[in-house]
Amino acid sequence: MQSNAAMEYDYSIVKLYMWTTVIFGIVGMLIGVIIASQLAWPQLNYMMGEYGTFSRLRPIHTNVVVYGFMISGIFVGFYYSAQRVLKVSMGESKFLMTLGYLQFFLYLIAASGMVISEAMGITTSKEYAQMEWPLDILIVVIWVIWGVIMFGLIGMRREKALYISMWYYVATFLGVAMLYLFNNMEVPTQLLSGGLGAWYHSVSMYAGTNDAMVQWWWGHNAVAFVFTVPIIALIYYFLPKESGQAVYSYKLSLLSFWGLMFIYLWAGGHHLLWSTVPDWVQTMASVFSVILILPSWGSAINMLLTMKGEWNQLTENPLIKFMVLASTFYMLSTLEGPIQAVKSVNAIAHFTDWIPGHVHDGTLGWVSFMVFATLMHSAPRVFKREIYSKSLLEAQFWIQTVGVVLYFTSMWIAGITQGMMWRAVDEYGNLMYSFIDTVNALHPYWAIRAVGGTLYFIGLLMFAYNFFMTATAGRKLETEPQFRSPMA
Amino acid sequence: MFHWLEKNPFFFAVGVFLTIAFAGAVTILPNFSKSAQPIKGLKPYTVLQLAGRGVYIKDNCLSCHSQMIRPFKAETDRYGQYSLSGEYAYDRPFLWGSRRIGPDLHRVGNYRTPDWHANHMWNPKSVVPGSIMPAYKHQFTNIADTETAYAEAVTVKRAFGVPYGDDIQPGKAAYEKELKAKVLPDALKIATQMKNKDLIAKVKAGKIPEVVALVAYLERLK
Amino acid sequence: MNAFVVKGLAFAAVLIISTIVVVQQMHIDLSDPINWITILGALAIATLAFGVSAKYMGQMKTDTASGDLAEENWDGIGEYKNELPAGWAYSFLGVMIWGLWYFFLGYPLNAFSQIGQYNEEVQSYNKKFEAVHKNADAATLKDMGESIFLVQCAPCHGETGDGLSGKAEDFTKGRTKATVLNIIKNGQNALAAFPGGMPPGMASGAAAEKAAEYVASGCKGKAPAEFGVCAGCHGATGAGTPGVAPSLKGYDVKTALAKGKTGAIGMMPSFANRFTPVQEKALDSYVNSLKQ
Ligand code: HEC
Ligand code: HEC
Ligand code: HEC
Ligand code: HEM
Ligand code: HEM
Ligand SMILES: [Ca+2]
Ligand SMILES: [Ca+2]
Ligand SMILES: [Cu+2]
Repeated sequence: MQSNAAMEYDYSIVKLYMWTTVIFGIVGMLIGVIIASQLAWPQLNYMMGEYGTFSRLRPIHTNVVVYGFMISGIFVGFYYSAQRVLKVSMGESKFLMTLGYLQFFLYLIAASGMVISEAMGITTSKEYAQMEWPLDILIVVIWVIWGVIMFGLIGMRREKALYISMWYYVATFLGVAMLYLFNNMEVPTQLLSGGLGAWYHSVSMYAGTNDAMVQWWWGHNAVAFVFTVPIIALIYYFLPKESGQAVYSYKLSLLSFWGLMFIYLWAGGHHLLWSTVPDWVQTMASVFSVILILPSWGSAINMLLTMKGEWNQLTENPLIKFMVLASTFYMLSTLEGPIQAVKSVNAIAHFTDWIPGHVHDGTLGWVSFMVFATLMHSAPRVFKREIYSKSLLEAQFWIQTVGVVLYFTSMWIAGITQGMMWRAVDEYGNLMYSFIDTVNALHPYWAIRAVGGTLYFIGLLMFAYNFFMTATAGRKLETEPQFRSPMA
Repeated sequence: MFHWLEKNPFFFAVGVFLTIAFAGAVTILPNFSKSAQPIKGLKPYTVLQLAGRGVYIKDNCLSCHSQMIRPFKAETDRYGQYSLSGEYAYDRPFLWGSRRIGPDLHRVGNYRTPDWHANHMWNPKSVVPGSIMPAYKHQFTNIADTETAYAEAVTVKRAFGVPYGDDIQPGKAAYEKELKAKVLPDALKIATQMKNKDLIAKVKAGKIPEVVALVAYLERLK
Repeated sequence: MNAFVVKGLAFAAVLIISTIVVVQQMHIDLSDPINWITILGALAIATLAFGVSAKYMGQMKTDTASGDLAEENWDGIGEYKNELPAGWAYSFLGVMIWGLWYFFLGYPLNAFSQIGQYNEEVQSYNKKFEAVHKNADAATLKDMGESIFLVQCAPCHGETGDGLSGKAEDFTKGRTKATVLNIIKNGQNALAAFPGGMPPGMASGAAAEKAAEYVASGCKGKAPAEFGVCAGCHGATGAGTPGVAPSLKGYDVKTALAKGKTGAIGMMPSFANRFTPVQEKALDSYVNSLKQ
């Protein structure tokens, strides 16, 4: 066994992404709270003229949390853990360091460009791919730089075999690269029109049903390769590291990884069930979605079993709490998704609140909890300070847990109810409810969701404060802790 | 074998890439050309309708509205004939949406009228008590970008062979001509039906408010 | 079962029961297959997700870590060479076999057509409601008309049929004398069903007043002599002449639905082919019952 005490790693890039994680988290989730409240109390649409309507804000919410908060969090995790499991410091290569700074700089430009353009209504409207072509190009450059850094570090590595987290980082890189390119094939409209109109505007290379297929091939796999695969990379590093426990089973890691790679990509059609895509594509997507439960659960079970016998860690260490609950929310959303992909269930679930419910099981319960744990585990090592407050972290955990539970239970009930109301007929066979009846029935659940979201957001503010204080005022550490993060 | 892969990152990456690329090809390619076929008689969007589609995209109506009527009795009773693939052949991008906070709009042109939309977009509660849809008053003052819409028509005609007539040509002059000959008269018709003096006056002055273009687009959804 | 699993399942039960209670309040027919399959799916999600994760939480309390460690070690992280958990492995194998069976044998390529299923759904719907529709009596028709009206017409005519302060026809007032006088004076060409329209100035002065009174009453009783001019087109009793002029006995709902109306107040879209003849009759009977 090699000791890691001898190595010094370079965390300059990690620090930068830590700050963007916190800032984008606050911005994105604040907007989440606003749009949740707008559905319950529509007057809130009129605070900022045309820029404040639900419809303008919703894509800003999704983009800021996904491409701001989550991607930053993932980069924190990557730049922190990849160096360590490969046993090579970024600082060993000037070239990689320069690229790292360049990537962060371009990322800032792209992220602010994204927010500004979406506020202005400049969008291609494809979900999770709203950005117009100039930003697309920037994103491709950022991604390529990430690839160069990743493979650069791998090339310089001192650990011969790649650790599990690295498998998932590599898959993230490749998956997003391929899917993003295909989904963003578009023709700028000035090119062929003799210079007419807005310079940033473009039209998609694909039309109608084909455009939908390509979009959801991406959309689904954005879920796979942004909300799932890199987050698994995080948990495989941060849970064993924080707890000091060895990963339960290599075989389980292996089968889960290759199972996920093989099966995930076939399931994208579950976003298009009962639409005009061919029947066989839909059937295939349903079947693969159900199979997908097992490779997904494999990783979660592997993590939960890693913690077996460690009950005291769970009660004493809030970071372990975040990660264990993240695994269980991961299990929830990867069972809920496949069931929603069953065609009969999707006939009810599709288009309803049950889908945002499912989304936030995953994003609030799984992704964000892992991002919080990632930042807090790294902070003492990066800043060489103790975590500022354990009790604050503990309180955050409970407040946010209540928030997620309110969020998903209210959306679960709202979605199922509305889906069934749309189909209901009276004793004469006529539709029982007008559309607006089905909307008004949801008011209480939308209010509960807004409360749940607010609780989650309050927890986030506690986190931000705790993190800021850790970085600036935490008690100084002499030596790097091997496992459990010290906290005051 | 797997352990070997884990020590050889290049082959590992190739393995991952092939696994994931394969699935996409098998799903998307077999029906690609069939799915691109328009149904018989499908007309491309007029420049005014394209401009309205641009407004629909800009204000992101698809965050609340779908355009995909699924083949269930309850849906065809509510919205009309279920949607067909060929109806979307000129939709770049597709606007099916993934959420139905408001009703489906794929055939809204069949059962709502311009004057109704005029009331509804100005203040949804005035026609649907209890509506939670935001009022889009800014669309009554913002001017629609017909030039970009025209550029889009030229682009899809030249790049993808969408069957526009000979009048759709690149260049500023061709655009101005189309504007005078078709776009403004179309807009005036819609504005007149919307019964809003202000809108009519603006169109007569050569400026098309966003809501007029938007309603032209909504009326086309049949 | 350990305490965690009990708690997990209890939570699942609360969630499912609340769902069913809320749904029941909306008078949903849970025997509809789509509905009960959905509830079953929800049940599966809740029990499995909370039950199984609670089981592993329990193991954190009771079990201990063991096994052979792999020789590698990354940044202090080790890895056991434990076997796969049997339940997981067999389930994985099981669903893969099920998937292959489903896709290649159960419902092989192109064996299912959603449009075919739609056609069957419509057929069975028609069968189910055929009897109700065939023997609908007056009260049933009105009731039925109301439910259609609330879904399809209320966005313009309002839930009470009052036309939302002049945005569409106010059925509670009906056709007033003033409206009729106006039509007599100016003529009307609004019902797309009659391309010729009605010419202006068909009557004037006291004659127009008399005719208008009669029409505003819904053409009840014996027609006054002044209605003679009108009868030329609208028929002796105002019942309308097909293809020539609409009925004046209340609203001619069927005509309005067929082609819509562009009138003084606004426009009404056509609802051609959206309703069955029974539904049209039902709407007619409901709309004409609204006048107070
Ligand atoms: C916050 C969600 C929301 C947004 C955003 C929204 N709508 Fe709506 N929309 C609704 C709801 C709810 C209804 C049903 C109640 C009503 O008719 O007002 C509706 C109804 C409609 C209808 C009537 C359809 C029918 O069948 O009655 C049209 C047309 C419409 N919206 C167009 C738009 C357009 C165009 C935009 C974007 C500029 C838009 N909506 C944005 C929620 C929304
Ligand atoms: C030349 C034939 C003709 C004569 C004579 C005539 N009408 Fe009409 N009337 C029509 C037609 C055609 C319409 C339908 C017009 C339309 O398309 O809106 C109509 C419509 C109406 C309507 C509106 C019905 C609706 O549903 O909107 C009223 C009320 C009416 N007539 C009353 C009268 C009265 C009262 C007289 C006699 C003083 C009269 N009409 C004489 C042809 C005639
Ligand atoms: C998009 C709006 C809209 C909808 C939906 C609508 N109507 Fe109307 N309707 C109108 C308007 C506007 C008028 C008044 C036209 C005028 O005379 O100016 C009208 C007039 C009528 C009239 C009077 C026609 C006459 O002979 O004068 C009848 C009857 C009627 N509607 C029935 C219905 C029924 C039944 C439904 C539902 C199936 C319905 N409408 C749905 C807008 C609508
Ligand atoms: C305070 C926390 C949050 C609140 C209150 C919140 C609220 C919302 C609301 C109201 C919507 C619209 C749902 C609808 O259409 O009805 C939404 C959508 C969405 N949110 Fe959040 N959100 C929060 C945090 C997050 C986070 C942290 C993420 C990701 C990391 C996220 C990802 C998404 C996504 C992907 C969607 C789109 C879902 C879809 O299109 O189906 N949200 N959110
Ligand atoms: C086994 C794994 C999963 C399957 C099979 C699955 C399946 C589904 C299905 C069927 C939908 C609804 C499509 C619709 O009807 O509109 C959906 C939506 C969604 N899921 Fe999952 N899901 C899985 C896991 C996850 C996870 C872990 C996340 C992480 C956060 C996630 C995030 C989302 C998002 C963001 C959407 C909304 C997409 C949209 O905008 O419409 N899913 N998923
Ligand atoms: Ca793009
Ligand atoms: Ca969505
Ligand atoms: Cu998906």
